[in-house]
Amino acid sequence: MPMNELLPAIMAFVTALVSIVATWLAVQEKDLLAAVLFSALQSTCYALIYYLLMAPDIVLVYLPVSVGILPLITVILVKKTERYEE
Amino acid sequence: MSDSLLLLFATIVVAFVINMAISLYGVFAKPSLVKKFIALTIFSDSINSFAILIGFRRTALGHPSIAVLPSPPQSSKDLEGFVKTAVDPLPQALVLTAIVIGLAVNMFLVGLIMLYRRYYGTTNIKKVRI
Amino acid sequence: MKLSDVVIGVSMTMLAVLISYLMVYGGLGPIASYSLRPLATSFLNYTYNPWNAVYSALSPEAVTAIVWDFRGLDTYFETSVLFIAIVGLVALFRGAGIAQGISSRGLSIIVKTSTKIVAPLILVAGASLAFHGHLSPGGGFQGGSFMAVAMVLIAITFSIEFLHQKGLSLSTLLTIRCVGLLAIAVVSVYLLIKAMLLGGSAYIFQNMIRMNSSYSMPSWFIDRPLGGTLFFFNLSESIAVIGGLTLGAILLLLREEELRAVIGGEERE
Repeated sequence: MPMNELLPAIMAFVTALVSIVATWLAVQEKDLLAAVLFSALQSTCYALIYYLLMAPDIVLVYLPVSVGILPLITVILVKKTERYEE
Repeated sequence: MSDSLLLLFATIVVAFVINMAISLYGVFAKPSLVKKFIALTIFSDSINSFAILIGFRRTALGHPSIAVLPSPPQSSKDLEGFVKTAVDPLPQALVLTAIVIGLAVNMFLVGLIMLYRRYYGTTNIKKVRI
Repeated sequence: MKLSDVVIGVSMTMLAVLISYLMVYGGLGPIASYSLRPLATSFLNYTYNPWNAVYSALSPEAVTAIVWDFRGLDTYFETSVLFIAIVGLVALFRGAGIAQGISSRGLSIIVKTSTKIVAPLILVAGASLAFHGHLSPGGGFQGGSFMAVAMVLIAITFSIEFLHQKGLSLSTLLTIRCVGLLAIAVVSVYLLIKAMLLGGSAYIFQNMIRMNSSYSMPSWFIDRPLGGTLFFFNLSESIAVIGGLTLGAILLLLREEELRAVIGGEERE
């Protein structure tokens, strides 16, 4: 099987597994600042999957919204409320 | 071509479904408002991903291409070749709208959580007796 | 592990299994088939079709043509939903403004110097995305969001009081947002007003020549396609988005001393 057809499949496989691990860690974590970082990691993996699914307009909206603005306002929220849940 | 593409597909679809289930568990079972907010954003991203998945296609030979013409077509044959390999553009337009509306609602939600904390003193919903 | 956690976990697992079952047997429609749906074929055929210009949008980018021409009303209402959310945020924090006397120095000098190098690059990249949205992937929201991220970066490293001194107060940002919305409204009814003054008929959100009306926006600019209203919509949308998102982020960054007098209560450690 030629490499240029196998490589997107391998990239999608690895990225999907990393996103599952990142989501599980984000939901389990007690330190809310670390949970925000795991959520940003999951958004980066999703942006790579959208690129492999041939949707470049979505990647250009998703990156500043989900890796830029949303973790920013969540970190402001964590700073102004409590850092550790419970 | 077809069975490596099938491997790509199966793992991406499995990842979207499992992420949706885990984040929905996070919305229901965790008592902190900020954790519920983070899990809600992950949930809405996974749901938007289903819509983008529907637009994908396979081609009999070669690869599918993005829905953009590289240069203005000179004849009708170029246009037919473009239609034979391009991905569906309509779900991408709808998901664009959905992402922007989700951002608007999430920004408002963050302001509400800040005021909730200032009024009740805590963001743990089990400690609040209304 | 409490009983309620276990029950929620089991029901989420059943939900995941049921949705996979639904997708395997074709409940969401055919996924990754070899042929496109007829609606998608029609959109791809008519996005740049000079031989059938009555149905076409004459822009090489299919997604931008769908967003601003074929389904322009969806985008118009989505912009107004974003506007209503920003207005709601302003109403929640009403009465609070950036205080005049607090002098804040921002972050350290290393961060300030590297921001002075990086932030203009991000602004230029965002403006470039907004300008060529009708020729390659890009557009109004994409460019506006990039520029908003750069503006919030500047607002954090230098302080928000510094931005206020330079003239970028809360009411200025709201004015920028409203100017962008006004530009969208003017471009959308431009051909209609021109037809009412000169005779003939036209439609709202009209881009090119249609069946009953012979008015059209310019579709070629010196040597490359200009998508008609798509170019102007992209520019005004990027201006509107940069104003709105920066305003939302700065409202959430306001300090406790400024908010305490207005909202009451205090932040407890």
